[in-house]
Amino acid sequence: MTTTRPPTQVAYAARAVDASKVYGSGEAAVRALDHVSVNFERRRYTAIMGPSGSGKSTLLHCLAGLDRVTSGRIFLGDFEISAASEKQLTLVRRNDIGFVFQSYNLIPTLNALENITLPMELARHKPDPAWLDTIIDTVRLRDRLSHRPNQLSGGQQQRVAVARALLSRPEVIFADEPTGNLDSKASTEILQFMRHAVNEFGQTIVMVTHDPNAAAYADRVVFLADGRTVDELVGPTEATVLDRMKRLGA
Amino acid sequence: MGRVTLEQILGKKLRLLLTSVAVVLGVAFIAGTLVLTDTLGSVFDNVFTTANNGVDAVVRAVQPFKASGRNQSSNDTRPPIPDSVLPVVRGTPGVARANGSLLRFALVQDRNGQAIQNQAPAFGLAWYPRGDNVGDALQLVSTYKGARAAQPSGADDVALDVTTADSGGFRIGDRVQISFANTPPRRFQLTGVFRFGGSDNALAGATLAAFTPATAQAVLNAPNQQGTWDELHVRATAGVSETQLRDRVNASLRRAGLRAQYEAITGTQAANEQSNNIKSNLSFFNTFLLVFALVALFVGAFIIYNTFSITVAQRVQELGLLRALGASERQVVGSVALEALVTGIVASLLGLGLGILLVTPLRGLLGAFGVKLPSGPLQVQARTIIVAFVAGTLVTLVAALAPARRAARVSPISAIRDQAVAPTSGRRRYIWGLGFTVVGVALLAVGLIGQGSNAALTVGAAAAVVFVGVAMLSPLIARPVAEVLTLPASWLHSVTGLLARENATRNPRRTASTAAALMIGLALVSLIAIFGASAKASFASAIDNQTRADFILSPKQFSPFSPGVAQAVRDGFARISRKPATVVEVRQGTGEVAGTVHAVSGLSPDFQAVVDVPVRGFDHAAFARGGVLVWKDASPLCGPSGHATCTTGTTLAMRFPIGGTVQLPVAGVVTDRKALPAQVDYMVSLTGWERHFTQTLDFFVVVLKPADVSTHQADAVVSSAARQFGGVNAQNKADFKNSHLAQFDQILGLVYVLLAFAVFIALIGIVNTLALSIYERTREIGLLRAVGMTRVQLRRMVRGEAVVVAVFGSLLGLVIGVGFGGAIVQAAHSQGIGLTIPVGQLAVFVILAGVAGLLAGWLPARRAAHLDVLQAIGTE
Ligand SMILES: Nc1ncnc2c1ncn2[C@@H]1O[C@H](COP(=O)(O)OP(=O)(O)O)[C@@H](O)[C@H]1O
Ligand SMILES: [Mg+2]
Repeated sequence: MTTTRPPTQVAYAARAVDASKVYGSGEAAVRALDHVSVNFERRRYTAIMGPSGSGKSTLLHCLAGLDRVTSGRIFLGDFEISAASEKQLTLVRRNDIGFVFQSYNLIPTLNALENITLPMELARHKPDPAWLDTIIDTVRLRDRLSHRPNQLSGGQQQRVAVARALLSRPEVIFADEPTGNLDSKASTEILQFMRHAVNEFGQTIVMVTHDPNAAAYADRVVFLADGRTVDELVGPTEATVLDRMKRLGA
Repeated sequence: MGRVTLEQILGKKLRLLLTSVAVVLGVAFIAGTLVLTDTLGSVFDNVFTTANNGVDAVVRAVQPFKASGRNQSSNDTRPPIPDSVLPVVRGTPGVARANGSLLRFALVQDRNGQAIQNQAPAFGLAWYPRGDNVGDALQLVSTYKGARAAQPSGADDVALDVTTADSGGFRIGDRVQISFANTPPRRFQLTGVFRFGGSDNALAGATLAAFTPATAQAVLNAPNQQGTWDELHVRATAGVSETQLRDRVNASLRRAGLRAQYEAITGTQAANEQSNNIKSNLSFFNTFLLVFALVALFVGAFIIYNTFSITVAQRVQELGLLRALGASERQVVGSVALEALVTGIVASLLGLGLGILLVTPLRGLLGAFGVKLPSGPLQVQARTIIVAFVAGTLVTLVAALAPARRAARVSPISAIRDQAVAPTSGRRRYIWGLGFTVVGVALLAVGLIGQGSNAALTVGAAAAVVFVGVAMLSPLIARPVAEVLTLPASWLHSVTGLLARENATRNPRRTASTAAALMIGLALVSLIAIFGASAKASFASAIDNQTRADFILSPKQFSPFSPGVAQAVRDGFARISRKPATVVEVRQGTGEVAGTVHAVSGLSPDFQAVVDVPVRGFDHAAFARGGVLVWKDASPLCGPSGHATCTTGTTLAMRFPIGGTVQLPVAGVVTDRKALPAQVDYMVSLTGWERHFTQTLDFFVVVLKPADVSTHQADAVVSSAARQFGGVNAQNKADFKNSHLAQFDQILGLVYVLLAFAVFIALIGIVNTLALSIYERTREIGLLRAVGMTRVQLRRMVRGEAVVVAVFGSLLGLVIGVGFGGAIVQAAHSQGIGLTIPVGQLAVFVILAGVAGLLAGWLPARRAAHLDVLQAIGTE
């Protein structure tokens, strides 16, 4: 259950098996996920796409152990998250998962460096200084480390979030529309860093997005509609993604 | 994680301060009270150590039974010790010197016949010549106002302490008139002045008159107690320790067959006991003040709870993010607890400092309400510091516990979804609230039915539990009450008024717990108001309807006065009229009945001439001969269980301080005692009082003038008697009633001032909640301003919300206060108190609370009005 596990043991970093998620009950019940089965390979960059309300965020939250499925099973590596206790989930989040959210990623009272090392501190682990340096240089934050979030631009804030997610070398990084609030230049930077992390550090990333340009940075795109996986695209380009979306869209 | 918390705290210094203030005042109150009592304690320790200077052992009568009750110092029940014991003590090996000591009432009059008496008591004592003395607390001043001074050596000589001599304007050789408790006033010649333990001002302000030993015995003792002492003082020969001396003296007492009646203790123990006696009287006072300190802390706890609840709610996203990043529940609870700990420690520190600064004003406040206390160097003991810290920190931690646990329940998903903290289900809260309320009311019933010292504690606990219960239930009615309160706003179509209402009710729990703090204050204030009004009305009615008196003499300072006053009144009337005056004296003592110690009143046999006290089967002759009157429900013998004793003609075994157990004929059964000044179970006639009690002073003297004497003449007689003795008020019935009602008001005033602390803390709570709510609603306020709300309107809206919260809290408090007050007064029915509800006064309280709410809203309203519109809208 820690990062020292041999990477070859299981082919997939994360899996959903026949996963369903229902919000509410009776009349007001909403089936956000409807018998979804999907695998996410190690050392790959996977994008999840689909119309608004199709269940992308729900799938991501369930995969990351932030939320529980109503039925079906979720695995992180060979560990079944859907059967884990609240305590185990805390440890999983701490050690095996990294997050980048669309907004509200940082603790406002901590500076950039403190935000980056926060999960390690929560786990009472010492960050590897060389690795910390590498990451800081990768996301180019060296001169902003002592700044508080409100002294950073939106793009810089997301770079802090990405650095934080990378620091503990998690099994998977989950990102929910990480560029949703950014202009195109800042978006491009973030997407390039994530691509770099997959290529150079062998990081596994699962990213929700509705932007075909963002999806084109991924190795594979999974399409969701009405809580179901409806299509898949390997080696996407902006054009092929747009094309697929048009076909699904109707 | 610790750093996140600390950064959090430092980032919000103002909030830390505001939150602390809630606890600071409570802690300051506790610390101030403890320092004050310790300071007084050390003053008395010094006095009694000095008084026993040079005394290695004290021999005294064994206490017949332990007196209880707070105004009964245990020496009151100790019989005197006769001269005949002295040879036994003097014959003990290791005894260098031994002689008798007396410390009894003796009032010095100045040259105009006015009594010299400060707040403290007036004492006379025996002063032995040099070389014969045991104690050496008194030091002769060799020259006074240019004249050589000497110790009293003749039967008519007296020496005074320097302060008394100064304030009397005396010179050596002057004649000094002094009156006593048991013998007629006499004139003495002033031979000298002395200092007490190196201080001009004697025993904590008491006046002292020293006589030769023989004179002291003659004038201070009652005629039937001649040849006795209060105790014997013993000095050891060189090389004999205090304990050796004590043991040897006890051994000789045993050999002489006197050990069963008399005992020796060390001088040190005697000093400690005397000091502790005074201190145990002070401890009532200590408890009294601590109760208010606890109320203040309790109110503070509500505010801590509230502040932490709000900040946890406001930090949901952040807490969710921490959880998403792997913070465990323990870490989240820990972070909130750490914040509480830091707040508690800061508050305790500030509270301790403030408490020490508060001692002098507190003493001044008590002085202004008639409680004069001597002063000395402030005593800050380790115990005070520990108690202050433990109380402040513990209260803060406990109050923050529920919000901390709520924080831990924040789900990680809250970081992304704007989702409120999963609250405890409303129903569970209300069930708990109902449970608390029911338990509280049950406790109240238990406390009121039960008797003894635990009753007050039980009632106090009941109140605390009911407060918590009602606070939990009150969100249910917050909205309807707010709607009623803001009816005027809707009649006026005032948008700001309606917005104020919406704001006050959008989070009924927050409103309710903010209001709860004020509720506690108002509940206690209205309880006191009801109790006070009822007691006053009952007292007034007892005086108006059940007492006949032309004059009533009563002590100025709660300390009883010489029976010589009553005698002077009788003599005065006898000089101008041949018809008899009725002069009824009232005394207090203690006696033991069937193993329990009771307060016993002594009454002149003809007491029914002045008070309506119906007595069933009154055998007047038996009473006048020394019989006892028994209250119809007297415990433990009467009441439903033991009617046999409660009939005229039976006998009652009562043990007295002097003379042991006596079989007293029961001379009647008292069926209504409302008109008596003390609600005691046993009353004896004053005939032969001195045979049984060491305490022979009067508490009250009620006078009916002879029919042929004019009111004016009578007034002259009574006033002159009172003036001669000092420390006595002589008033006609109306003045007596009014001055006592004024004393009630004074005590009530003190209680109100002390409760004002709690109310003030509650108001800070309103400021705090509003400030936090406004911070939370920054965007919304920006929006309101953007669509055209003026600053004035905005302020009005915020202040309106504050008023709604304050009035809501005070109404809740009023209901609880009236409930408790009514129940307590009903339970005190046997004490002769009937229920009176001061409706007008209660209405004024609610209005004042509303005004206070307006003031509390001032600062938050200002802050809201000064928010920058654009920035406010931009705030996430
Ligand atoms: N907490 C919730 N309660 C009820 N319904 C929800 C909740 N969260 C999401 N939903 C519903 O589930 C469906 C999927 O939502 P989501 O996963 O957020 O979609 P996406 O991220 O693809 O826009 C939507 O219909 C949404 O309304
Ligand atoms: Mg989404």
